[in-house]
Amino acid sequence: MLELSSNRHNPGIDPALHAWGWEIPVYLFLGGMVAGLLVLGGFHILKGRNDPHAEAYPWAPMLGVVLLSAGMGTLFLDLSHKLYVWRLYLTFQPTSPMSWGAWILLLVYPALLLAALLHPPETVPFGDAVLARAKVWSRWLRMRPRLVQAIGAANLLGGVSLGIYTGILLGSLGARPLWNSAILGPLFLFSGLSTAAAALHLLSMLSKRQVKGQFGDALLGGFFKLLDPKAGGEAMLRADTSFLTIELGIMALWLLGLLTATSVHREAAALLLSGDYAPAFWALVIITGILTPLFIQTAELSGKIRHTAAPAVLVIIGGFALRWILVSAGQTSHW
Amino acid sequence: MDAPFYKFGLFGDNASLLVAFVIGLGFGFFLERGGFGSGNKLARQFYFRDMAVLKVMFTAIVTAMLGVFWLSRVGFMDLSQVYLVPTHLGPQVLGGLVLGLGFVVGGYCPGTSIVAAATGRVDAMVYMAGMFAGMVMVGFAMPAMDGFLSSGDYGQVTLAKQWNVSYGVLVTLVVFMAVAAFLASEWAEVKTGSRELTSQPLLGMKGLTRSRGLMLAFIGVGVVAATAGSPYRGHDVRVNEKELGQMVSRQADHVTVDDLAGRLIAGTNVPRLIDLREPGEFGRYHLPGAENVPMATLASAQWRADESVLLYSGSDAHAEQAWLMLKARRLPQVYTVEGGLDAWNDRVLFPRLTENPAPGEVDAQKRKVAVSKHFGGTPRGGAAPGEVKDAAMSLPPPPPAEVPAGGDAAPKKKAKKEGC
Amino acid sequence: MSDETHAPKPYMNPYFAGFGLGLVLLTAFVTMGRGLGGSSAFASAAGALVTTVAPDYSATNSYWASFLGTNPFKEWLVFQVLGVFVGGLVSGLLANRTKLVVEHGPRFTRVKRLALAFVGGSIMAVGAKLASGCTSGQALTGGSLLNLGSWAFMMAMFGGAYGAAWFLRKQWI
Repeated sequence: MLELSSNRHNPGIDPALHAWGWEIPVYLFLGGMVAGLLVLGGFHILKGRNDPHAEAYPWAPMLGVVLLSAGMGTLFLDLSHKLYVWRLYLTFQPTSPMSWGAWILLLVYPALLLAALLHPPETVPFGDAVLARAKVWSRWLRMRPRLVQAIGAANLLGGVSLGIYTGILLGSLGARPLWNSAILGPLFLFSGLSTAAAALHLLSMLSKRQVKGQFGDALLGGFFKLLDPKAGGEAMLRADTSFLTIELGIMALWLLGLLTATSVHREAAALLLSGDYAPAFWALVIITGILTPLFIQTAELSGKIRHTAAPAVLVIIGGFALRWILVSAGQTSHW
Repeated sequence: MDAPFYKFGLFGDNASLLVAFVIGLGFGFFLERGGFGSGNKLARQFYFRDMAVLKVMFTAIVTAMLGVFWLSRVGFMDLSQVYLVPTHLGPQVLGGLVLGLGFVVGGYCPGTSIVAAATGRVDAMVYMAGMFAGMVMVGFAMPAMDGFLSSGDYGQVTLAKQWNVSYGVLVTLVVFMAVAAFLASEWAEVKTGSRELTSQPLLGMKGLTRSRGLMLAFIGVGVVAATAGSPYRGHDVRVNEKELGQMVSRQADHVTVDDLAGRLIAGTNVPRLIDLREPGEFGRYHLPGAENVPMATLASAQWRADESVLLYSGSDAHAEQAWLMLKARRLPQVYTVEGGLDAWNDRVLFPRLTENPAPGEVDAQKRKVAVSKHFGGTPRGGAAPGEVKDAAMSLPPPPPAEVPAGGDAAPKKKAKKEGC
Repeated sequence: MSDETHAPKPYMNPYFAGFGLGLVLLTAFVTMGRGLGGSSAFASAAGALVTTVAPDYSATNSYWASFLGTNPFKEWLVFQVLGVFVGGLVSGLLANRTKLVVEHGPRFTRVKRLALAFVGGSIMAVGAKLASGCTSGQALTGGSLLNLGSWAFMMAMFGGAYGAAWFLRKQWI
C-alpha cells in the first residue's frame, strides 16, 4: 500500500491515482462477509436455544476462519513492504484506521476459533486425531455456560466492529469525497451481513444435495455431504431478506446525503448514479445484487416457488460488485 | 419526441449501458418463457416435433416489424437512424449455413445458451466455453478472411429497396407468410404426434383463442401497412460523386447574377427559381418569380424529373448544400446563383459605376444602369441620370415582381409549397 | 415447503412469448436505434483475453488490434448479455425450471453430448463471425427491419440446420 496523505496535509498532491488494485476490494468483501458470519454466529450462541431452523449457524465460524485467512492474505499482498507487517502490532494509533483494523483482525481470530470449537463437525475428510482432540475441548467449553456467553458476545461485538471498520477504513480518507461519509460503516456492515447470510444459505442448499442424481451433483455433493444434511436455509433466507432491505435503505441515505452536500460530493455521487460507474452500479449492485434476490426470496418465502441457491449467489455477486465499484469510483472522485 | 432516443441525444453512453442491461433482462425473460433455455426443446424444432423456435422467432419479428413500421410511419421514429447491418450476401449465406450446423450440433444459439446456462444447463455452459474458444480461434484467421468477408457488398439495404417494392406491401407479405408458417408448423406437430406441446394452438380448437386473436390483430395491422408506403423519413439517396465533382470543376453547377438578370429580362430560358431563405426574409425581398422553399422544407418539396431548378439564398452556402441534396435526388438540371442575393444586390441592383468610364465601357455601364432600374434598384456613383433613362428605353418594361418570369413554372407553385 | 409441490410450470404460449420478445426488440429500436445481440459479447470476451495475454501480437493482427485500448466490459452488448443472464434466471426461477442437468436425447450419452456442445459452440463462433451476427443480431433484428442480408442469412440458417439435423438425430430424439 502506498502511503497517501489521508487528510490533505500536502495540498500539492491530490491523489487521483488508482493506488489500490484488486486486493483491497477482495479484502473488504471477505472482511465484510466474515463480519456478517461473526454476528450471525455470535447471535446464535447468545440465543443458546436449539433453533430448528438454525442448522446452518454452526458453520458460520468455520467459514469465517477460512475467509478471514484469505482476506488477511490479500491485505498482506497489498502491502508494499511485506516484511514489516509485524510493525503494525508494535503500536496502537487511535487515530489510524489501519491500526484499528490490524488489532480488530487479531482479536477476531481467537473469537472465531473458539466459536468454531463450540460446534465441531461430525466428520472431516482428514485429520481425525485433531478432530477428536477438538471434540474434547468442545465438551469442556460447553460445560461452562458463562464462557460460552462470553464467546458469543465477543463474536457479536467483533463482527459489528469489523463490519463497521471496513466502511470506516474508506470513510476516513477525507481526500475521497465519495467515501467521505460515516454512513459507509453501517452500509458495509449490513452488506456484509447479507453476503454472510447468503453464503450460509448457499452452504445449506448445497449440503442438501445427494451424491447420486444429476451431473454436477456428484461433483459438489461429494464435498458437501460433509455438511449437515438436514440443514434448512429458511432462517437465512429471512435474515438475508431483511439485511438486503436495510442495506438498500442505508444506500439511499448515503447517496441522498452526498447529493445534498457540497457540489464536490454531488459530483462524487453522480459517478455512481449517472457517471462512468453508473451502468455497473445499477445493473450489478442494485438490480442483480439487491432487487432481484429480494424479489426471488420473497417469492420463495411465500411458498410460490422452489427454494434454490440462485438468490444467494446473486447476493454474493452484488456484495462483491458493491465493494469493487466503490473502491474504483472512490479513487476517481476528488476535490 | 424523436426516437431512437439515444440517437437524438436523450441519454448518454453510460445510461445506454443500463438500458442495454434492462433490455437484456426482458430479452432473457421472454427467451426462457418461450422454452429457449432447453436444448432439447430447441433441437426438436429441426425434427418437426416442436416448432417453438419458429413460432417465437417469427412472432417476435412480426411484432417488432409492425411496431417499427407504424411508429416510423406516424413520425414518432426516424427509421433511418436504426442501424441496419450492411449486407454481404456471400459471407452471410455461408455464415447462416455454418450457424445452422452449429445450432444442431451444439443445441443452442448464442443468446439461448446464456439463458440455458443461467437456468443450470451444463451443456449450455460447455457450449459457451466452446463459443468463447471458437471466437479466440477465428480471431486469428479474421485478417486472412478480410477479402471474403467484404465480398458481395450490397451496403445497408432493405428488401424493399433491393427489389424496388413498397415497404408496406412487404410488411403485409411477411405477416401473411408468418401466419402461414405457424399453421404449417402446427400441422407438422400434429403429423409427428407432438401436438400437445403447444398450448393455445391456432388449429384444432373452437372459438377465438388468444393465439387466434393475436394473429387476427397482426393481419389487421399488417394489411393496412400495404397502403401506407415507406416508413423511412426523407429519401434514401446515392450520389455519383465523380460526376458531381466534374460538374463543379467545369463550373456547370452555377449561373452568374448577370447571366440570370439577362435571362429574366429576356423572359426566355428562365429556370424554376427557388429562394431557400426563411419566409420573413423572402417577404422583404426576393427575385422576381422566385418561390420560397426554406431549407428545412426542401426535402419534402416535389420536383418534376426534367425541370431545371435554380437555387439561391443570401450567399452561397445554403444554395450549394441544397444543390447537393437535389443532385442526390437525381434531378438532372440544378444550378445555384453564384454569390446568391449578396452578389445580386452588389452587381445587379446596386452596381457600382465608375466615375469616368473609358469609351469602350460606356455601353456596358449604360446597360448596368438599365438593368438596375429594371429590377427596381439604383446604381451607386458614376453615371448621369440622362444616360440611364436612354438606356432604360431600350429594355422591355419591368415585369411586376410577383409574376413569374419562368412562364410555365407558375402553375406548379401551389403543389410545390405543400411541404412548408 | 417440499420441493415436490413445485413442479416445473409449462412454457408460455409461444405466440405470446414471441410477442413479448418482439416488444423488447421494439423497445431496443425505439430507445437505442439498434437491435439485440448474442455473439458479440463472446467476441468482446475473446478480444479481452487475447489483448491482455499477448498485447504485442494483437497489434499485428488487424482484428485483435481493434480491441486494443478499449474497455471490453463497457460494451453495449456485454451489458445486454448480462441482462439476458439475469432475466433468464428470474424467469426460470419463477417457473421452477432451473435445474443442473445436461440435456440430451434418450439414445445419447452425457459425455458425447458435452463434447458436441463444445464443438457446436466453436462452429457457431465461426458462423457468427462470417455472417457478422447470430440468431439474435441477424435473424431477429435484421428480420424485423426487412434487412436483405438478414433474410438471406435466416433462410440459410434454417436450411443448414434442417440439412444437418438428420445426421445428428441420435443426439436429440
